[in-house]
Amino acid sequence: MVNAAMEYDYTVSKWFAYLSIIFGIIGMVVGVLIAFQMAYPELNNLFGQYGTFSRLRPIHTNVVAFGFTLSGIWAAFYYISQRVLKVSIRENSVVHGIAKLHFFLYVILAAGLVVSLLLGITTSKEYAEMEWPLDILTVVVWILFGLALFGLIGMRREKTLYISMWYFIAFFLGVAMLYLFNNMEVPTYFVTGMGKWYHSVSMYAGTNDALVQWWYGHNAVAFVFTVPIVAMIYYFLPKESGQPVYSYKLSLLSFWGLMFVYLWAGGHHLIYSTVPDWMQTMGSIFSVILILPSWGSAINMLLTMKGEWNQLKESPLIKFMVLASTFYMLSTLEGPIQAIKSVNALAHFTDWIIGHVHDGTLGWVAFMIIAATLHMAPRYYKREIYSKKLMEMQFWLQTTGIVLYFSSMWIAGITQGMMWRAVDQYGNLAYSFIDTVTVLHPYYTIRAIGGLLFVIGLFMWAYNYVKTMQSGKILEKEPAFASPMGA
Amino acid sequence: MENIRELQAYAYFFFTLFLVVILYSYIVHLYRSEKKGTRDYEQYGKLALDDELDSKPIEPQETKENKEQK
Amino acid sequence: MFHWLEKRPFFFAVGVFLVIAFAGLIEIIPDFAQASRPVVGTKPYTVLQLAGRHVYIKDSCNACHSQLIRPFKSETDRYGPYSLSGEYAYDRPFLWGSKRTGPDLMRVGEYRTTDWHENHMWEPSSVVPGSIMPAYKHMFTQNADIETAYAEALTVKKVFNVPYDKPGMPKLGEWEEAKKQAMEEARKIASEMKNQDVKDAVANGEIPEIVALIAYLNSLR
Repeated sequence: MVNAAMEYDYTVSKWFAYLSIIFGIIGMVVGVLIAFQMAYPELNNLFGQYGTFSRLRPIHTNVVAFGFTLSGIWAAFYYISQRVLKVSIRENSVVHGIAKLHFFLYVILAAGLVVSLLLGITTSKEYAEMEWPLDILTVVVWILFGLALFGLIGMRREKTLYISMWYFIAFFLGVAMLYLFNNMEVPTYFVTGMGKWYHSVSMYAGTNDALVQWWYGHNAVAFVFTVPIVAMIYYFLPKESGQPVYSYKLSLLSFWGLMFVYLWAGGHHLIYSTVPDWMQTMGSIFSVILILPSWGSAINMLLTMKGEWNQLKESPLIKFMVLASTFYMLSTLEGPIQAIKSVNALAHFTDWIIGHVHDGTLGWVAFMIIAATLHMAPRYYKREIYSKKLMEMQFWLQTTGIVLYFSSMWIAGITQGMMWRAVDQYGNLAYSFIDTVTVLHPYYTIRAIGGLLFVIGLFMWAYNYVKTMQSGKILEKEPAFASPMGA
Repeated sequence: MENIRELQAYAYFFFTLFLVVILYSYIVHLYRSEKKGTRDYEQYGKLALDDELDSKPIEPQETKENKEQK
Repeated sequence: MFHWLEKRPFFFAVGVFLVIAFAGLIEIIPDFAQASRPVVGTKPYTVLQLAGRHVYIKDSCNACHSQLIRPFKSETDRYGPYSLSGEYAYDRPFLWGSKRTGPDLMRVGEYRTTDWHENHMWEPSSVVPGSIMPAYKHMFTQNADIETAYAEALTVKKVFNVPYDKPGMPKLGEWEEAKKQAMEEARKIASEMKNQDVKDAVANGEIPEIVALIAYLNSLR
């Protein structure tokens, strides 16, 4: 039926995996630097104007979210989609060409983004900082990804789309829609013929701009940090453990539930702001309802491991993935709690939010991407993973890092929130603003150390990966389930 | 302005109701058709496990090659 | 009937799109017109202030400072009256921020002076002991981009009918006039400053970033 010589082609998938490792290290090293800057402000002076916290912070968020995470997702996408559709990308040279072009343009885009942010060229909208020329390039990259996605689907041998493919389709559509609407802007040079050619002004003003931005900002989290990562876990956990997903029906329900509910929850970023009341309330309510579909997927994953918990002890890869789904449950519970109006009044603008973001991104997103690359590596290179011991160490080091990170940020956030509103016996504010900053010094230090541990783990990951490529024991045939690992 | 607001409220309410009804009938449908044995949903879970290029698809896409085989 | 979808990627995609687009349609569109109506007394930024706003954005001040006072007593005591939707009518983009590592700046023009900002941007801990804010000394030597600010003002006037040149509103006029007016505003601010390099630069017809930034911060009321 299939040409005997034909096999899956992982060229593009591999490229994205390398990129993911590189961006992961760059983005998180910058993250650790700015974390230390908050504890020791003199570190702001290292690189003149290019080294201040405010210049580096967008670089950290963008490189991690759109460099590390997107490359990791695409590495997994070009791997998973071939396998569950039972088609090799090599069978169609046009689709393969598109995939390669997708990669190259994306590299150019990412480089452009980093350079422009260093120079301070930004629209200031969080996670949408790119100016219009890069926005256009983003749209092109996205269209290429869409063509590759639907091209592969069009070539498929398996009629039914596996769960992961639904999530990839939703990822493509969701980000496309959100991105286009949020980045509507008018280039000023074309209207007036003056000033910088790359400057633009937002189509929306004030409250409307905020509304569109957080509709985007929240859902960018949904469609970049949640949807495609769920796609990954639905493939990699069953495959690595050799257990079919616990309930296919539950996965169907949580998919549609998530699609419907997630988009409504964006309003919770604007609670007590100037957007209409009913919308803020809606944001809160839907955020709470959102627990259901999120936990549906997470529980489905944990139940997949039912009766197979010995694997958790034996395989560090399973450890990464099970802890990832646990962190997913934690942050999808924490998020709705923060969206409750009275909690939000305390938590908004504080470090608790930063803590929440990081237990999701470090614990869930980064762990899944690390697990995915290490699961794919033996299949890419037909070699054993270089060292199991190193993976075990990386796992424990990074887990400790995450725990230090979020626990210190919880305490910092709640402390600061309480101090902002504390009053003395006459009803005057008890603390000046700077009091509420200096008190955070120990927590900022702990957080920076937690981040540092995580980054050390990333270097171990990169080392292990490179060693696997070069000197892992050669495998005679592709492993079916559990990935073989050297001592 | 008021009209838009009212329309918005109605649209919101009915569309949500509509989707909730669909979602629930979906659940009922899924479990009922499996109970009656018309369809086995859980077999698709194996898509992730049995994913070699030459392994047999659960439901092959109709292509020229396999039409000829039939 | 439902299983049909998972075998037909096109209709599957359409279904997903409808369900996710619905929230946006209902949530966002109807309130657009209302929220963009300015409060009485709200004015668009002058060219110099706008250039200062660009400096604020360039150095991502909004990464640590919010511009949104929530309706709680603890916030109105600290920062002044709570924010109203119409006060932001001319803010493109909005600069509410999402984190308050430093204090809110929505009405910072009410209680800080040119002199204070000058010292603070040069060395934050000189006026706020214990401050963790970085120093922004480069703003004293780099020049603000007045031309781009003018281009932006002209764009919003043309495209979004922002009421420049209307009675009681800031004057925009032609580029030469606008430039002269920006210089005049800059001179006034520089006269209240101490840094000799900045004073010299302004005397030479240049506008350092710090001057524009202070013009913007003073306009936040």
